[in-house]
Amino acid sequence: MIAFKINDMEVEAQQGWTILETARQYSIDIPTLCYHEAVAPSGACRLCMVELKDGDWSKLVASCIYPVAEGLKVYTETSRVQNVRHWIFEMLLSACPASQEIKTMAKKYGVEATCFPVHHPEEACMVCGLCERICHEVVGLSAISIVDRGVYKKVGSPFLRTSETCVACGCCVTICPTGAMQMIIDRVRTMPSTPLTQLST
Amino acid sequence: MTNTARIGVFLCKCGEKIEPWVDLNLLKNIITKDTKAVHCEIMPFSCLKPGVENIIRAITEKGINRIIIAGCESRLMLKKMETMLQPQQIHKDQIIIINLRGHVAAVSEQSPEFKAKKAGKLIKAALADMDVLTPSNRTLAEIEGPVMIVGGGIASFTAAHELVQKKRDCFLSVEYSDADTIIRNIHKYFPGERHHYKRLSKIIKETVASPHVKFLPAGELTGLAGVTGDYNLKFNEKNQVVEYKTSAIIACMDADLAPPLPGFGYNGKTVMYQPEMEELIWQEGHPEGQIVFWVNDFEAGYPKFAKLSIQSAWSMAKYLCEYTKKSRFTILYNQQIPLPLSAAERKISQKLGILWIPYDPSVYPTLQDNYISFCGVHDHVEQEVSWDLVVLSPKREIGTETAKKAQILGLLHQENNFLSGHHARVRPDMVGREETYLAGSARFPCNLHEALTQGKNAATKTNTMMEKAEAKMLYVPRMVCIVDVSRCVGCGQCQELCDCGGIGVMDEGGGLPRMVDPMICMGGGTCAAACPYNALTLQNNTTAQREARVASLAKQLTPDEIMVFACNWGGLPAADNAANKGLKYDPRAYILDVPCVGQIDISVLARAFLEGSSGVILVGCVPEECHHSFGLDHAWSRINFIKKLLTLCGFDRRRIALAHADLNKPEEFIITIESFIREVSSLEAIAKNPLNQGKLVSMYQLAAFNSRIRYLLSASLRRAWEKSYRGDQRHGLNYDQDFADALNEEFLQTRILQLLQTEKRAFNAAELTDSLHEDGEKIGERLYEMAFEGMLTRSIKNQTVHYMAN
Repeated sequence: MIAFKINDMEVEAQQGWTILETARQYSIDIPTLCYHEAVAPSGACRLCMVELKDGDWSKLVASCIYPVAEGLKVYTETSRVQNVRHWIFEMLLSACPASQEIKTMAKKYGVEATCFPVHHPEEACMVCGLCERICHEVVGLSAISIVDRGVYKKVGSPFLRTSETCVACGCCVTICPTGAMQMIIDRVRTMPSTPLTQLST
Repeated sequence: MTNTARIGVFLCKCGEKIEPWVDLNLLKNIITKDTKAVHCEIMPFSCLKPGVENIIRAITEKGINRIIIAGCESRLMLKKMETMLQPQQIHKDQIIIINLRGHVAAVSEQSPEFKAKKAGKLIKAALADMDVLTPSNRTLAEIEGPVMIVGGGIASFTAAHELVQKKRDCFLSVEYSDADTIIRNIHKYFPGERHHYKRLSKIIKETVASPHVKFLPAGELTGLAGVTGDYNLKFNEKNQVVEYKTSAIIACMDADLAPPLPGFGYNGKTVMYQPEMEELIWQEGHPEGQIVFWVNDFEAGYPKFAKLSIQSAWSMAKYLCEYTKKSRFTILYNQQIPLPLSAAERKISQKLGILWIPYDPSVYPTLQDNYISFCGVHDHVEQEVSWDLVVLSPKREIGTETAKKAQILGLLHQENNFLSGHHARVRPDMVGREETYLAGSARFPCNLHEALTQGKNAATKTNTMMEKAEAKMLYVPRMVCIVDVSRCVGCGQCQELCDCGGIGVMDEGGGLPRMVDPMICMGGGTCAAACPYNALTLQNNTTAQREARVASLAKQLTPDEIMVFACNWGGLPAADNAANKGLKYDPRAYILDVPCVGQIDISVLARAFLEGSSGVILVGCVPEECHHSFGLDHAWSRINFIKKLLTLCGFDRRRIALAHADLNKPEEFIITIESFIREVSSLEAIAKNPLNQGKLVSMYQLAAFNSRIRYLLSASLRRAWEKSYRGDQRHGLNYDQDFADALNEEFLQTRILQLLQTEKRAFNAAELTDSLHEDGEKIGERLYEMAFEGMLTRSIKNQTVHYMAN
């Protein structure tokens, strides 16, 4: 049993839990986008940042991948956390302006406009990789992946062609936190090639 | 494994996505009243580590062996739950995840109490399902022993080579085992592949030298029986049948090359096709003169293979050019064929002086005496090339010998020209073996390199499978069909309907399809639902389970509520995505998930009506995109059957319907559901009186147990090799009318029998007519036949004939 504090509240956790899991167990709200219970956390969106304080010293960590430890002092709503969250939302609004889900969530946390330039007004994907992770970890395939590098990163199938590997299960569409996969899936899935086996009679 | 179900129900708050919208405390009260649940608990997040640890604690404390989680999408969460609960001996079929968030909480603006009641109905139905489940033992796949490589294709050697390197024994059934002879003949199947001969020769020699390879004496394959891990192959060797027992099979077969049609001026001497040119090189060295390779695949009607032919032509021209300076080479090709040359090869081609001439496909090139005329690409002027030898593309096809072998191995399908693997569109963990191990150009025309690679890959896959099995890590998938041999009569319906090839024959002699290969079966389950004698069952997902679930739900529904069967690939994702998008719809729809609508037995549908459901809709995948090939088609036929029965009962046939949904179009799913609810609520409720109840009982008995009707129905289902819909068949209407007649007969008969059996006394014809509200003449006719067939006993009382059930 590991005892520590979240927002000055005494909480108890088991070895191996993360801060986010513990917080959720105690119904403490931490916003997340790239986190889903079905797959391993990756800490990509940084929206779940919390502040760890130790006297005068403090640091920000992604709660979805930070393991709990005895005596931690976690704060989820300090001005530093709110500041980071605010800027992440502004960046997300500029990067995925077409995503209704992100807009709703940002509004909940008081961000309605972005000061960053909007380059692609149609873009809804934030390249968090949840779709790729669910395809690999849950479905057991690798029909989609993150292609290209750096600022050109995007979700797609190999060679950006429709993929024979895709079984069109729709897990990626369901898990997508921004609604971007609805557009992408139609470029990935294919009609089945129908040659069928007939058995010896 | 014990079958006493101890079911635990876990209600998830899912943060704030379920709790304020659904009254979980009320829901908990509803569930604890059901005696089937031994444990019920509300938790903030059942899927996070704290939640799962909580579930495990409950399992160990209360001895729970079945789990129902009311939370979110089962499609996403089941895998995690399965992995986490594996150490507790809870397998995936012992977990039901109900999408409380998506199918109840987010659907409408109803009060939390109402939603709790709706969730209660769904969970109670799931409890009934789990109560009936008999979980199978987790069995290891046993695959030990030698591998049989049949077919005689060139890929046999790479496959054997790969297996030999892994020190695995294999039988090799090939015509020649001598490297020189094979290389001398390989051009008959793969022309223009001289650059591979050295490597091929090395592979063959190494394979032949290995002690692990056993060559079968030249013999003809005559039979195959058994399943993965225990195959039994029969060969006819010198008029003697020899049997071989092997654990796995790799089929290596090559497509035959035949001369092109005579329309191209083919004469076998000056106008030849590619393998003949190779033969000429073998026999006479290097032909001289003006040699034209005409890649005529487009004109001959098989444009798909043009790329292969042009590559062979290039390879042959290159080889000849390097040895003789006297000949000149031209490759004449259709403009639509992309040039197969890399930049370096273009350079070589230039150096060798090979002339590449594209022609305009709008004009048919003609072979004339010493000249070929064709239309130029740029100027559309007719041009000519002189020739001494013309080499045409071969015609690629499956030879009769190959077709015979493929037929025995179960790889042949009637409407396709080539063999191919399975139609897998399911998750890899749903099938034990990825595909049929088939290699070579008979699968689909390919070049030598590709064929050899395919052989190697097939062997690697086989080896991986066997290694896994040896390491005791390969389990038989849990949701596969099993055959009750005592009930199976060997009618073969299942084998014809099965699209995955999982149904095998036990003994090749009688050809009875009496066993399922669990490593190939994908759990589509339409075969089980089609079995006229209920001999096939989909284990861990049986019809009995589904019937229990449907019965429980139907009992709880009010007349304006409907039951929705949503398939895991179409309807269910659409419903899940609708919730994620925040769409609202009519809350009177109760969604039940099924792996495929094709596995819903007619008895399940009839049971729903028997227990009081007023409307049932099946939502499957988009037509022709069914993941189990024909689930939707089969469901269509079954619904048609239930519609006929509803009409016979005097109820409205609109109470049951088939629909489809695309996972990415949740809006359309909602339209589908709402329109069906409107339709059903416009109908008058089925009155609950003994007459109607009697009709419904007969309907259920007919659907569940009447072998004649079940046989007729499964005969009408679309077969795996049929490309078109049943409706396109010429005598579709005739068939349907005959079926309806048979149904009329059997339905009346079932009703009479049912009445006589429940009342347990003798009836005369007039009494029967009165109590059944049927036409007296028809009843008289039926009674006569039934008495004739020995179902009824006749006795004379008060001067009238009385009938009694035997």
